[in-house]
Amino acid sequence: MLRLITCQNATMLLEQQADHAASKSMPTSLWLHLRYCPYCNRYAKQTVLIAEWAKASATTRANSDMALSEAAKQRMRERLAAAG
Amino acid sequence: MTPSTPVPAQWPDRYGDELYRFALSRVSDSETAEELVQETFLSALDGLATFRAEASERTWLFIILRRKIIDHYRRQARTTRVGLDEISEGGPTEADFFNPENGHWAAQQTPVSWLNADAALEQQELHEILARCQERLPPQQGAVFAMRFVEELSAEEICQELGLSSANYWVIIHRAKLQLRRCLEKHGLGKN
Repeated sequence: MLRLITCQNATMLLEQQADHAASKSMPTSLWLHLRYCPYCNRYAKQTVLIAEWAKASATTRANSDMALSEAAKQRMRERLAAAG
Repeated sequence: MTPSTPVPAQWPDRYGDELYRFALSRVSDSETAEELVQETFLSALDGLATFRAEASERTWLFIILRRKIIDHYRRQARTTRVGLDEISEGGPTEADFFNPENGHWAAQQTPVSWLNADAALEQQELHEILARCQERLPPQQGAVFAMRFVEELSAEEICQELGLSSANYWVIIHRAKLQLRRCLEKHGLGKN
C-alpha cells in the first residue's frame, strides 16, 4: 500500500533524490506528494537553485580582482626561506 | 619542452593572488584565506620531491590548497561535532519549519514563489546574500553544505571526512537547505 508522506519527509527525500538523480527514479510516494503539494513543489525547485547559486557564487568570487597585500607576500617569502 | 622546476621563492608572486582568491571564495575572512595559502606553500615545499615535472606547478599548488580547504571545513565541522540527538544545539530544527503534529509546513514557513528569482536581484547581490546566509549557518552545517555544493564532494566522501553517519549527514543537509531557503527569502527573494 502506498504510504502518504509529510512535507518534512518529502523535503528530506528531495535532498536525497538530488544526489541520486541519475541512478534512481523518484519514489512513488514523493512523486504523489509533489502532485498535490504546491509548497514542496516550490521547495523542489528552490533547493536546486540554492545549490547552483552556491557554486556560482564561489566561482565568481574566485575570479574577482582581490589580491594578497605586498606585506602578506613578503611574510610568505620569509616563511618559505626559513623553511627551505 | 623543458620540464619546469618549481622555484618556491617565486610562488607568492607567481601564484599567491590566484590561490588567495580561490581560498577567499571558500572561507569567510581574508586572514584565514591568507593562512591557507601560506600553509599550501609550506606543504608544497615539504613535498617538493613528490612534484612531477609533467604536471603543472599551478595545478599542483591548487590541489594542495583544495586539500587544505577541506581540512579547514573538517576543523570547522568538528568544533561543533554533535550526535544526531544533539544537532538541535547547532541551530533551528525541523520543528522550526514543520508542524510537529502532522509534519506539514508550519504556517509562517511555507515556501513562497521565487518566480523570476534570477531577475529579482542583481546576480552579484544574490551571491552576496547567499554568502552571508551561509556564514550564518551553524559551523557544522556550513562546512557540510560547502563540501557538498561548493567542493562537490560526494555524500560518502563527506561522511568519511567528518566521521558522520549517513542519517546524520542527511539531517544536516536538510536543515542547512531549510535555513538557507528561509534566509534568502528574508533578504529579498520571493518579494518580486
